[in-house]
Amino acid sequence: MSFLMRRFRPEQLRVLVLVGVLVAILIFFQTQVEGFVSPRTVNRLQTSIAIITVVAVAETLVILTRNIDLSVGSIVGFAAYFVGTQLSRNNDMSPLLIVLMAISVGGVLGAINGVLVSYGRVPSIIVTLGTLAIYRTVLVEFSNAQTVLTSRLPEWLQTLPSINLASVGSFDVRLIFAMALAVVIIFQLALTYLPYGRRLYAVGSNPDAARIAGFPSQRIVFFAFVLCGALSGLAGFMFLGQYGNVTVVAGQGMELQAIAAAVVGGVSILGGTGSAFGALLGAALIGLLEQGLRRMPQIDEFWRYALLGFLILIAVAVDTVVMNRLRAIWARNELQMAAGSDQATEQEKPAHVA
Amino acid sequence: MTQSPPRSPRDGPIFELRGVSKSFPGVQALSDVSFFLNPGEVHALIGENGAGKSTLIKIMTGIYAPDQGEILLDGQPVQIRNSMEAQTLGIAAIYQEPMVFPDLNVAENIFISHADRGPVVRWGRMYKDAREILDRLDVKLDVRQPARGLTLAAQQAVEIAKAISLDVRVLIMDEPTASLSAHEVAQLFRIVNNLRNQGVAILFIGHRLEEVFQIADRVTVLRDGRWISSAPRADVTTEQVIREMVGRQIDDFFAKTETNRGELLASVRGLTRDGVFSDMNFDVYKGEVLGFAGLVGARRTDVGLALFGINPATSGEIVYEDKSVNIQSPEQAMRLGIAYVTEDRRQLGLVLPMSVVVNVTLPTLPRYLNRLGLVKRSQEAATARTYQEKLSIRTPSLNGEVGKLSGGNQQKVVLSKWLNMEPKLLILDEPTRGIDVRTKAEVHHIINDLAAQGLAIILISSDLPEVLAMSDRVIVMREGRQMGIFPRDEATQETIMTTAMGQVGTANGAGLNGQPATEGGSADSEVPL
Repeated sequence: MSFLMRRFRPEQLRVLVLVGVLVAILIFFQTQVEGFVSPRTVNRLQTSIAIITVVAVAETLVILTRNIDLSVGSIVGFAAYFVGTQLSRNNDMSPLLIVLMAISVGGVLGAINGVLVSYGRVPSIIVTLGTLAIYRTVLVEFSNAQTVLTSRLPEWLQTLPSINLASVGSFDVRLIFAMALAVVIIFQLALTYLPYGRRLYAVGSNPDAARIAGFPSQRIVFFAFVLCGALSGLAGFMFLGQYGNVTVVAGQGMELQAIAAAVVGGVSILGGTGSAFGALLGAALIGLLEQGLRRMPQIDEFWRYALLGFLILIAVAVDTVVMNRLRAIWARNELQMAAGSDQATEQEKPAHVA
Repeated sequence: MTQSPPRSPRDGPIFELRGVSKSFPGVQALSDVSFFLNPGEVHALIGENGAGKSTLIKIMTGIYAPDQGEILLDGQPVQIRNSMEAQTLGIAAIYQEPMVFPDLNVAENIFISHADRGPVVRWGRMYKDAREILDRLDVKLDVRQPARGLTLAAQQAVEIAKAISLDVRVLIMDEPTASLSAHEVAQLFRIVNNLRNQGVAILFIGHRLEEVFQIADRVTVLRDGRWISSAPRADVTTEQVIREMVGRQIDDFFAKTETNRGELLASVRGLTRDGVFSDMNFDVYKGEVLGFAGLVGARRTDVGLALFGINPATSGEIVYEDKSVNIQSPEQAMRLGIAYVTEDRRQLGLVLPMSVVVNVTLPTLPRYLNRLGLVKRSQEAATARTYQEKLSIRTPSLNGEVGKLSGGNQQKVVLSKWLNMEPKLLILDEPTRGIDVRTKAEVHHIINDLAAQGLAIILISSDLPEVLAMSDRVIVMREGRQMGIFPRDEATQETIMTTAMGQVGTANGAGLNGQPATEGGSADSEVPL
């Protein structure tokens, strides 16, 4: 036990806590809704959370640095619309080029946020509140408020949402979910193993110390915004693939869902803690709640929204309480170990004399 | 404590400052300072508040560039443009409040600044290396533990380990012992000795002279931004160092005129705020200025905040106008007639974007309401005008933004605000910090007049000559404890500084605390020099 406690830290167990909450919710809905835990639910969940997961990972990168990006929804819409228009004009463009295009469009928009926040020293909440509106307006202007139509998109994109990578029994692994999962894994590894990833944590954890340690804090924050924009661009491509029809309101409100998913997944709004994997779990938790509530006919649609908000608050509260408990147990264990080693040395001495 | 091994003279200094000067608008922070550090030497830097120590550290670590003068490393002139460059050159600083990343673990904190550990973080190796460095320092810490929740001493150890991992050659320690327990200090000194034996040059800044003398090989004194002396520890005495620290002139200060002490206003007995200050015993008389002297970290401001109810005391008694009171909030303090002029004028004392008039009447606004509950603007303006004349506030318009006024005039607005409350006890915290000489003299005049009118004044100031010139009695604090009370004629710069640095020993302080009844008389001033 004490070996395990030395090996793992409460912060690492947070993921387990989230998984526990997830299972609890599953059990709850299973008792309320006939046949809730079924391949159909799982498959549907995959498609419903894929896009929001990618955006939540994007948002996590920025929140880690003690900033926030409210413009992600607009970037998703912008990128979706931008590549959608290009594709409807020219159906022969290669899929890879399209994906790269979406990523770069998002990256550029993210870079604008990044420059203003880290070099212009404007608080990120203000910058991205501004660009949230600006990017959306530019999109409306750029599109003449016209819709990208599914029928004018190439075949491969139209079939994208229904592509299965693999099937285990009736459980499918949707391509679009696999993409999100790939993003989560890549960024989880990057945050853990790349020096840049660790510095994102450092900058958000103690900005003053980062400055005194001589970090290029401005550059680190700037790139967090660029990456956030690029991932949102990728999410824009996925949006286009999933819905086909892209209107000027595409991705509206997505920033709040993404922030909610990140926060539920253990990202501290004060920076310094969180992970890509947590963002995935957060997105899954919210997606699951939404699915479950939707299938309880006794719950009115308007109340569903309020209930969702309420459950998010509970999830975060439970997480905080459990984490505090765990930390207290760890601290006590450390004290005991320290006391134990003192005793051990004291007991050794008489043994030697004897 | 072991002495460092003798070095051959040809080793030469590792680090040297030559004729370094630095000024900020209105302040000459450093003028023509030169000194050097030898490898394997602990060099103590001491000086009063505002002697230029912090500026010097910032120049050494590349946060400020010197206006004039040279920095030499191994005899070669170098430019240190930022803290990254300082690190590359092997210069690191650890501060009283350690600068760790609370969300990262111990090992990460040690290696976070390394750019040479490959493109990928190898966690296993990092834990192993971190453990090795901590072992070398003989520090027992779990390298996987997040820095959040570590004690200050442990955080310092992490920072020292970080410096070592970066092959530090010059380590600056800025008051590292200020918040450590005696046991932790001993442990820190063991680490320092360890580093010294490894040939690191250590610049040790400290306020506790006994510690400084315990650890240092050489001692340099700064005063008012000037180099005063450098000497081997064996060649200096505490008395000598203190004399060099305080050798300032008092002539250009306005001296308080003698006033007759009025009746007793408040008696403070055993006032304590857990973990901040303890067992304060003093009396406050009408018409008297009671000065509070001490070094940074002496917790004088905290006593003021407790009297004003912002951070209330946790135990002890205050008898105010013959009634026992328990002050728990500023509202309550204000009802009792206590006013507090904060040291942080811009943040806490004023609403900068609002007008002079609004600021003056802010705490007393209910008096200016008509029957409908609306503010009577003309009456407000009249009050502001009265104080403008009384305190000669220089402002183009009373409706102008307070933020646009000079520091001195802002301070007068703050004073007006509290005087308008007609307080009985006025607590002034650093009332002349950052204001020009002329206004400073005016503020001193005002203080003097107020006392003559029978107001009780508590004057907290880091400006020692000011405290001495203005106060009828001076309380000296050190690290949250009352070290003594000196009547005006016994308060000299040397006695105050000696007491503030703890040179009288704690026995005397304890004796004082044991007999609060003698407070206010001259019995408590029997402080051996």
